[in-house]
Amino acid sequence: MEGSDLTGVRATAAGAAGPAPLLTARDVEVTIDGTEILRGADLDLAAGELVAIVGPNGAGKSTLVRAVSGLQRPTAGVVHWSGRELRRMRGRELARARAFVPQRIPVPAGVSVKEAVTIGRSALLRPLGRMTRADRAGVDGAMERAGVTGFAERALTTLSGGELQRVQIAIGLAQEAPVLIADEPTSQLDLGAAIDVSGLLRELADSGLAVLLVVHDLALAAAAADRVVVVHDGRTEAGEPGEVFTPERLSRIWKADAHLTAEGGRTALHVAWIQSR
Amino acid sequence: MIAALVVALLAATGASLALGAVKVPIAEVLDIILGKGGTGPNHQIVEALRLPRTVEALAVGAALGVAGAILQGALANPLASPDVIGVTGGAGFGAILILIAFPASVALVPVAALFFGLLAAALVFGFAWSGRNRGSTGKIVLAGIAMLSLFTAGTTGLLASFPERAPSALFFIAGGLTNAGWEGLKTTWPYFAAGGLLAAFLIRPLDRLALGDDVAASLGSRPQLIRLGAGVSAALLAAAAAAVAGLLGFLGLVVPHVVRMAGGTSNQAFVVPTSALGGAALLAAADTLARTVRAPIELPVGPFMVVLGVPVFLWLLRKAV
Repeated sequence: MEGSDLTGVRATAAGAAGPAPLLTARDVEVTIDGTEILRGADLDLAAGELVAIVGPNGAGKSTLVRAVSGLQRPTAGVVHWSGRELRRMRGRELARARAFVPQRIPVPAGVSVKEAVTIGRSALLRPLGRMTRADRAGVDGAMERAGVTGFAERALTTLSGGELQRVQIAIGLAQEAPVLIADEPTSQLDLGAAIDVSGLLRELADSGLAVLLVVHDLALAAAAADRVVVVHDGRTEAGEPGEVFTPERLSRIWKADAHLTAEGGRTALHVAWIQSR
Repeated sequence: MIAALVVALLAATGASLALGAVKVPIAEVLDIILGKGGTGPNHQIVEALRLPRTVEALAVGAALGVAGAILQGALANPLASPDVIGVTGGAGFGAILILIAFPASVALVPVAALFFGLLAAALVFGFAWSGRNRGSTGKIVLAGIAMLSLFTAGTTGLLASFPERAPSALFFIAGGLTNAGWEGLKTTWPYFAAGGLLAAFLIRPLDRLALGDDVAASLGSRPQLIRLGAGVSAALLAAAAAAVAGLLGFLGLVVPHVVRMAGGTSNQAFVVPTSALGGAALLAAADTLARTVRAPIELPVGPFMVVLGVPVFLWLLRKAV
């Protein structure tokens, strides 16, 4: 079976004597409109780690994070958030377990950055409940951590792609969940903004948050992530970046003649872009 | 802005109670309402005619303002109004059916408007929630437009088949309040109350939905459930409003836009209550004007309000982004 060589790696990573896992997902299957997207995907996440989810287009990366987040109902498999089964979780309990940051949000007119982050905080309130002083402090804290305080009063419609992505992360942070899931946050950003956003996510992980990052850029994944999960053919293979990004796997999964080099926080993917035929 | 609206609302309410074919001094109006006005003819006019009519105007105006605000929020579409989920078309058909085919049972007009308005909305949501991609905005809007066309065709068909009875239907189509006392509100108040209460619970979920289905889901809400709730609330409010005052679609479309443009925010905790205040003030004021400018002739308030409202709306639109 493809990828069986890595089951051992995943088991070590998950079973390491680290903090208790915040998320465990086993044998997740998702079928949408008769098409099998996932056919047995596993995922583990612990506090303070940044896990990158990579894979070719259409492999099911987004479906996997949506399924474990409760945005897409799995056809089979078991997902636990801090020991609680996803299927039994509703509303505020789910909002407190994880924050899901989509690739791009619609930008409504007449909503300021601070109002948007306040909406994020509303996940913690009872229906018709009022914002307390602690809630307002939570909003300010989330904006501070995401670095959006400087433009808190600006309308969402006036933001650049990178600024908007930071605001989306701030909305997620306002939920005060221990896990932040970002679905391709850097895909539409220029190089500078992508460095900025991935740096922010790394900082958040270093300060104790668990971060799941769906990303296309393998060099970025290798530099930022503690572990990498490759989604391919509806299944997952996981390990540390150095173990995962082997020329063999890059060739098998991405059909690329490439190898990865890493030196400190710098990574490079050496790709044979133009091949002589 | 809210303070200004409250002042406008009080002024409109006072004017609506005091003005008309007979002018009653505002001090006397207050006395009558507080129950110390004696039993003169003015007392009769204010208590039996103007008070119910004013309360109707306030309730209908507020209901249409709220219905428009939550639908525009839930469907993320600036064109959304109670028309779009079929309610107006259904209510119009129900009322015209009674007026044209059963003119002897004219007392059933509000009930029929309510019934067919809610039926049309139920059909829209039934279709929009079946098959693939259930509960998506596109499906709701398209099913709504289809249902609106169907019921409008029914209404037009009825009017064309009985042209001699069409004049009696015109007042309902134009939209306007009557001097029927508390009759209209007696049957419809539970629908106003239920729709309004549901709307209050939808304010925060609708703010989440404005940031997209995924963010709403991240925050623990269910986007399709929010849209369904908004549809039910708007259907209750708009059907009850149509039962009392005929077809005043313009109000539900325009008031929330004016509120957003003037307030500079689309935060629902502001837009929904302010649309209620604005709708109530607008309809009470328009109704007072409509029955005083050419007194004792009453102009139909629907067209009157549109003629006055459109220039204001276009002026605001020019300044908006």
